[in-house]
Amino acid sequence: MFRFAAMVLAFAGLTAPVASGADKPLRQIIDHEIASVWKREKIQPAAPATDAVFLRRVFVDLVGMIPSHDETTAFLKDTDPAKREKLIERLLADPRFAEQQAHVWDLVFFGRKPGNPDATRKRDGFMDWLAEQFKKDVPYDRWVKDLLLAKDGAELFYVQFRNQPEDATVAVTRMFLGTQLQCARCHDHPFERWTQKDFYGMAGFFVRLVVVDGKTSGKTKSFQIAEKSTGDVLFSGSVKEQRPGRKGEPVKPKFLGGTELKEPEAPKGFKEPTFKGGETPPKPLFSRKEQIADWITARDNPYFARAVANRVFAQLLGRGLVHPVDDLTEKSEASHPELLDALTRDMLDRKFDLKGFIREIVNSKSYQLGDTGPVKDALPEKFERARVRPLSAEELLTSLKVATAFDPAVWKGSGDPTEYFIRYFGEPTDGLGMFQSSLAEHLFLNNASQIRVMVQARKGNLADQLLQSKAPWEEKIDRLFLSVLSRPASAKERERFVKHFSGGDAKVMPQLVEEAVWALVSCSEFRFNR
Amino acid sequence: MMPANNGREHVSRRGFLKGCLVTGGGMAVANWGGLTTSESIAAEASRNGKRCILLWMNGGASQIDTFDMKPGRRTGGPFRPISTNVAGTQICEYLPRMSRLADKLAIIRSMRTQSPDHPDGIYHMHTCYQMRDRVPHPEIGAMIAKYLGRADADLPSFVRMGSTGNGGSGYLGPRYEPFSVGRDGRLPYFTEPYVTQPSRERRGDLLNFLEEGFATDHVADPFASHRMAEARTWRLLRARSVFDTSRDWPAAQERYGNTEFGRSCFLARKLVEAGVPFVEVGQENYDSHADNFVCHRGNMDVLDPAWSGLLTDLQERGLLDNTLVVWMGEVGRTPYINNRAGRDHYIRAWTTVLAGGGIRGGQVYGASDENGIDVRDNPVSEGDLFATIYATLGINPRVQHFVGTRPIWATPEGSRPIRSLIV
Repeated sequence: MFRFAAMVLAFAGLTAPVASGADKPLRQIIDHEIASVWKREKIQPAAPATDAVFLRRVFVDLVGMIPSHDETTAFLKDTDPAKREKLIERLLADPRFAEQQAHVWDLVFFGRKPGNPDATRKRDGFMDWLAEQFKKDVPYDRWVKDLLLAKDGAELFYVQFRNQPEDATVAVTRMFLGTQLQCARCHDHPFERWTQKDFYGMAGFFVRLVVVDGKTSGKTKSFQIAEKSTGDVLFSGSVKEQRPGRKGEPVKPKFLGGTELKEPEAPKGFKEPTFKGGETPPKPLFSRKEQIADWITARDNPYFARAVANRVFAQLLGRGLVHPVDDLTEKSEASHPELLDALTRDMLDRKFDLKGFIREIVNSKSYQLGDTGPVKDALPEKFERARVRPLSAEELLTSLKVATAFDPAVWKGSGDPTEYFIRYFGEPTDGLGMFQSSLAEHLFLNNASQIRVMVQARKGNLADQLLQSKAPWEEKIDRLFLSVLSRPASAKERERFVKHFSGGDAKVMPQLVEEAVWALVSCSEFRFNR
Repeated sequence: MMPANNGREHVSRRGFLKGCLVTGGGMAVANWGGLTTSESIAAEASRNGKRCILLWMNGGASQIDTFDMKPGRRTGGPFRPISTNVAGTQICEYLPRMSRLADKLAIIRSMRTQSPDHPDGIYHMHTCYQMRDRVPHPEIGAMIAKYLGRADADLPSFVRMGSTGNGGSGYLGPRYEPFSVGRDGRLPYFTEPYVTQPSRERRGDLLNFLEEGFATDHVADPFASHRMAEARTWRLLRARSVFDTSRDWPAAQERYGNTEFGRSCFLARKLVEAGVPFVEVGQENYDSHADNFVCHRGNMDVLDPAWSGLLTDLQERGLLDNTLVVWMGEVGRTPYINNRAGRDHYIRAWTTVLAGGGIRGGQVYGASDENGIDVRDNPVSEGDLFATIYATLGINPRVQHFVGTRPIWATPEGSRPIRSLIV
């Protein structure tokens, strides 16, 4: 027991219990709170991650791809005790960090099956807008407000709702406030205090938004979000009371859990101005959209900071302190309540600087925990082992390119396989978000020319390097492992792979090399971020 | 180290991970040399698992011109009824072979459903939920695959051919996605290996070696899920000759009729025999807004031998008691005949048919009124039909799943199995 306690304390970097306070870096608070639950529940955590495991994890999380062979060898060789912290700084400053964050948030907002797919399937412009926010370090509350105001570049967010205020309500409250209102759409929420009146009160803020065509530039269709000055949501009771012809009563906008919106009435006989597609829509007499954008992103909104703190924590540690991350209610119990409070406070103190927040998390010992241990959960509730998550389709494809030193010019003829990757690796989860592998994914890995083109020898790629090199096989096998799995081969692995290559003459060698690269990119160790 | 490809000497625990190699650490990795296809199929056939074949009448078949005839009425149309081997039950003259199997059929003449058009009707009659529900409901095939499929099977648990459902596996996840085979038996993308068998085995051995090493200290569930799917994929690739009907079709085509639909029904029989718990076969061209009678006559000429051939074949092979065969589409067709001699979509009173697999045959359930305008007795909803199918197959119709935080049931609230149809 003493040894265990000492270990926990050593892990948390503490010599005496310290109250969490504003003067302590967040990383220490995280470690302290997580370790105290281990201590209380007598949980034996995993050992800290090795350099190789940490390196691959932090690369995928921060820049969306595995490290290259050279990045890996440089890091593993580096003897600087502060090398992890320095690497984190380097990755946070990398332009790929902004792109990775754009990817992560784009999936939060749209998922793999967005509404209005014809208009929202291609989201390059929206992704650029998101990446721009991160490149410029725009605070989260500011860019969310711009998003909710449908500012230039962010319009696509509302386009997915097809002018359905109910859909916008469900999505906005879930994504930004971590609140599940969808039950209250059809009936009063069975467990929470939300009623249908709350739901339609929120929907009132979105009912006047209309998607209109933007100025077309080239082939890409653009959209604008117009806001009318009139129009209300009609509420006709619960779904069981619905009858054909029943119209419903207009509902005034009401802030969730708050007060009804006070707004000036439109003058009698007011007519909505008309405008043509492509023109800038006229401003409404009074903008409900501005009201809701202000209210959601206000510092004193009880959910906004808490929701994003919990969500970003989950992005890196695998699960939120409230899990799932969009189920933040008065009654939902956090696994580590003090820590959630501390994260929320920190988010407010740092004025929604997500990069600073992420820096603290990835510098924590909790984030840098090892990936082994007896727990089978992909996302251990007490964070006693690193989480295991599949690489996203985009992360997988990019990592394959890095691993195999692939030259994308090869795709000039056959086309970029991104859509295949999204189809076969896009959503490998069940209804609860747990990983679920499929036949289709593995048929693709086994038999797709889109994979083969990367693993077989082509001028300058990994397989080609192995074939051309005159180095001994042991050395080449290390290159193979460092390139794909970001670690050197073990003695046993070296022996097994030497055996694989031995006896192969020059004619079959390209095939043997292709087989070896295929095996490495197909294994669990490559498929997951852990 | 363990050589991974002389499978027969290694543990192959049936009922757990057939065709997998179980290593000293208890980890399953894919096994190249495991059971041969024919052996595994024979083993599958001897099992008594429940299965389901859905014959999907795409576009919506006309009840009045098939199983709920209205002779002499204004709405009756030109086809004549014929007697069946069940006293008092008559069906259309163009289903002569089926008329001799009526004792196997439970004809539900009182379908009253809610989605009157194609995409939403197809969705609704595959999931028993409305399309606008905003929850990704799984198709019936995915639900059955989940509850009747086995992790150690060689073949996918949800196979379909032709025009069929549009919902996929929904919230049940990619493991239960349909495996879509072309009408001509063509397999989906990426089922054709690009490397030779020795090369596949060599790279497979390397992969197994890596997985085995990794698994000694990495026990999280996702890793196991990845390995299991790889193993299933290899088994499928080995067993995929089951989908090839070129050798045995000539002998079967007289029974099933020499049509693509007939051949698909024959393949469906082969697949359920090989242990696939759910196969759906779509027949095209029922959407007869014009020339309804020409259209239905032609369709029944294809349907009658294919369906009767399937039931007879299943029975001869002792599979009919465990194989439920469902006949339905997304809508029925109007009793009224429009000015193009067509019938339009109709959902107030129409017909579906169940046979085999625990269904009490030789009965008609429910009734429409004399002109087929409305249901007279015992209306049956989508949920009731699905609850009946699930109950027949031993699946709890009210089994609960979650989509995020939201609980969802296999059939909607208030759905009731029709007990009198079930043995």
